[in-house]
Amino acid sequence: MRRKIITLTSALYCLQGFAEARFPKPDFTSGYQYPEILHSVPMEQVWNVVDIVLLVAMMSAVVWAAYKKRSRAVIYSMSVISVLYYGFFRSGCVCSVGSIQNMILAMVDPTYNLSWYVLLLFLLPIIFAVLFGRVFCSGVCPLGALQELVNVKNFRISRAVSATLSVIPWIYLAFTILYAATRSQFLICRFDPFVGIFRLGGDFGMILFGVGLLILSVFVGRPFCQFLCPYGALLSVFSSLSWKKLDITKDTCINCALCGKSCPVDAIRSPQSSKVKEARSKGVNRIILFAVLLPLFVAAGSLFVGTNSDTLSLANKRVYLYEQLMEKEANPEMEESLEIETFNAMGGNVEELKTEVDEIKHQYSVYSYIIGALIGFVIGFKLLKLSLKRSRKTYEISSAKCTMCGKCFNYCPQNLKKK
Amino acid sequence: MRKVYRNIAIVTAVFMLVLVAMLGVSYYQMQQVSPLQTEVIETLKELNEGNADNESLQLQIRQLDLISRKAYFVQEGQLKTGIYILLGMALVLIVSLNMYFKESMNLPEKELDPIDEWMTKSRSRKYITWASSIAAVAVLAIVILQNLNFKKSGDVLGGEAEEELLAENAEGDGEASGDVTAADSVQTEETADSVATAEDDGLPIPKITSNAFRGNNSSAMSSAKGIATSWDLKSKKNILWQASVPKHGYNSPVINGRNVFVTGADNAARELYCFDIYTGELKWTVKADKIPGSPSSMPKVNADTGLAASTVATNGQQVCAIFATGDVICADMEGKRLWAKNLGLPDNHYGYASSLLMYGNELIIQYENNSNGKVLALNAANGNQLWSKSVKDKIAWSSPIIATLGGKPALVVMGNPAITAYSLSNGAELWRVECMSGEVGSSPAASNGVVFGASEYAKCIAIDGATGETLWEASDYLPECSSLAATSNLVFCATSYGMVCAYDAKTGAVTKEHDLSTPFYSSPVVADGKVFLFSNSGKAYIFSASDFSLITSFETGEKTFATPAFSDGMMVVRTDKSIYCVKKS
Repeated sequence: MRRKIITLTSALYCLQGFAEARFPKPDFTSGYQYPEILHSVPMEQVWNVVDIVLLVAMMSAVVWAAYKKRSRAVIYSMSVISVLYYGFFRSGCVCSVGSIQNMILAMVDPTYNLSWYVLLLFLLPIIFAVLFGRVFCSGVCPLGALQELVNVKNFRISRAVSATLSVIPWIYLAFTILYAATRSQFLICRFDPFVGIFRLGGDFGMILFGVGLLILSVFVGRPFCQFLCPYGALLSVFSSLSWKKLDITKDTCINCALCGKSCPVDAIRSPQSSKVKEARSKGVNRIILFAVLLPLFVAAGSLFVGTNSDTLSLANKRVYLYEQLMEKEANPEMEESLEIETFNAMGGNVEELKTEVDEIKHQYSVYSYIIGALIGFVIGFKLLKLSLKRSRKTYEISSAKCTMCGKCFNYCPQNLKKK
Repeated sequence: MRKVYRNIAIVTAVFMLVLVAMLGVSYYQMQQVSPLQTEVIETLKELNEGNADNESLQLQIRQLDLISRKAYFVQEGQLKTGIYILLGMALVLIVSLNMYFKESMNLPEKELDPIDEWMTKSRSRKYITWASSIAAVAVLAIVILQNLNFKKSGDVLGGEAEEELLAENAEGDGEASGDVTAADSVQTEETADSVATAEDDGLPIPKITSNAFRGNNSSAMSSAKGIATSWDLKSKKNILWQASVPKHGYNSPVINGRNVFVTGADNAARELYCFDIYTGELKWTVKADKIPGSPSSMPKVNADTGLAASTVATNGQQVCAIFATGDVICADMEGKRLWAKNLGLPDNHYGYASSLLMYGNELIIQYENNSNGKVLALNAANGNQLWSKSVKDKIAWSSPIIATLGGKPALVVMGNPAITAYSLSNGAELWRVECMSGEVGSSPAASNGVVFGASEYAKCIAIDGATGETLWEASDYLPECSSLAATSNLVFCATSYGMVCAYDAKTGAVTKEHDLSTPFYSSPVVADGKVFLFSNSGKAYIFSASDFSLITSFETGEKTFATPAFSDGMMVVRTDKSIYCVKKS
């Protein structure tokens, strides 16, 4: 009950953070000279420091709650704070999820000035993941926290379907790299489903998508984190290699299966006792086959995406404009688009545009081959991983999948016995 | 207790659904409404543009504007409150559901996934393989289809579109006339025939030209003699011909040889016309179309300005026209389009109105724009830019003139707040006098090395053209749209509130004034020792140029906003409906 009261009071408190409304100035000509409007951004640097300090503090609190106390209450409180502070108060921007794009841009463009703030937002969750697992996802990421808070009852998705869908975040990550590296657009920011909710306004379609995801989150644990989040995909890799692994209980597992059913993201693996008997040689042959196929998957993916780089490059505004100009030239009767009209009105030079577009297309070609290889590798590696048979005697947490929500702690009879 | 939570959840969910529907409707309504562009406000604003002194009308506009804003903000506030309520209800719903399900923890009542992990993995492999293959095939199919469509559209010009566009652009400023269409060719042939016929008729080619707005160099002076001082459009007394102009425009006629040039435009097309000065026959038409950069939809312009307010200019070899879209076209005397280019859509809230001027092969454009105004000179033969001078003055609707200042011809441009003289060879600023204010629509005049300028809500000023020194200032009567005309002794001024006067050119004192109680947009022109002036209603006034005494006045029957052009014994007048030539019978 205390948790609910915290949620309610905090939600009401956050309402004061909404931005003021804007409206166009009167267009009636009266000769009045409008003074120049200046927008200052006071205290922004201070808030950046607060963001980082709070990020470290909250992740530390989660580590303490998960590893020491096995307490969901603390993690839940972090979720509330994250939604209110990073979500509503700080308007969900810049977040660690989106910082991937800044990092990529900084890597490919030496002139891009990457601030210490964004660098830390990107690195700190990874450092914590390497040490303790996906601590950031638990209750610190406002996107995950929002889904966590509305989650009521979980209806399990088939593991096979879930495994298939888990490829999507990697594809999303690959295209995020492509579009950021070619300076075309920040895909994650553009398709952030929750930023419109945090700001109480924005693109109608995206808000609708965000609301849809939240409704789904009521009955399915964190659908965005599981099947879309590119940063989550990245963290899952570091988390699977983490220094410390989380246990459900400090005591001996009695294999009651309660924790397995409580996990909203199906990250708890049951003791393995295969009912299907398969000849060992067959399993080994399969592993060898997928290991051999892995480079082929990489090559095929690279070739497939790379050869379509021209089509992908249409997402770049300059390329799209150039293609429109060519199309208009071929069909003079075609209605002139606003882009062409603006280009011409600004005295645009087609030759200069072509030079620029050629350079962009070259970049697309290079990065398309790279991300194609990444997608091919992810699919091939997934198939290889799914061919491995591992034995378990008790219920174990999958570090790559676990978002450290702490629900399982409250279900474990061994933990409850202690309390 | 569980039942209570269940009921709370159900009631909240129902309320939320209703609220979402209401907010959706409200949001949709707000998206559809442009509060400041209601029909009533727009109509009142249009009325105000034609009647700037009506304070009660302006007050009414301001009040309506305020009410519209208030209504918008109230609705926006309601929407925001609704969202807050919705968030609160969502919170209640989530808490109620949590409490309801609290006691039914996810116990393993039955195995949801009865097969073991290995089976799941096998199935996962199959799913991933199939999903990847299907996705790859789908993407491939989409790409192939898209490429086919592109190829189809690209094949129209045999795939040469890119090369052509680049080649055209490389020529830069439209050097060659590759734009002549088949229709143009036909028109050119027709022109050749008609010219031959006209030249075979034994009529002389008039020597006196009127190459720009208000005559050569926009001087408001003509050396034409023997101009009729009375005519009648109904009885055709002293009317050589009268013809209709295919498209409307407020620009004035320009005469060179036997050619009379005007332009017209509407939302469908922008055209340059050439009439025969003896017969009124429309000799040819050149369209301002297929110009790279030309906007596809017409800019919003004031009805009093229109899309073709600027008068053309000619040097006897080329004739050039500009329209409110920023399109400039240039044709030869036979109606063959030589080049065309778009200067960029002028950001001009009433519509672009400055007229062109020619000095030798220089086409001078006072490109009035809210953001980046400039004065520039193009090569009339090919459109290449000769020089350009950025202007920091506020937007104006004035036209440039060429005046002899300090013994040398120079360009004089009037804007807000300055009258500025430029060198004609390179656009260098010679002098600048800040003396104007408000919306400058009038054009300057010059005589004996003195530049005269006047504008409503500012002043009438005389400037020494050699030094830029102010000689005198007056503010008795000031023009709004009509421009000044000047002789060595007098400066003639016609206002939009019905007063006309003559200032002493040396002192600025009003020597003569007439209260004619009719507005004037047309400008006075001095010809044949007289001052010719037309009121908006179409009444012709002829004054003596020596003392500004009224010689005669009579109604012509057609509204007249343009300024007449003069040639040997002939005067060409453009009215709201037609164009006609006055010549003594």
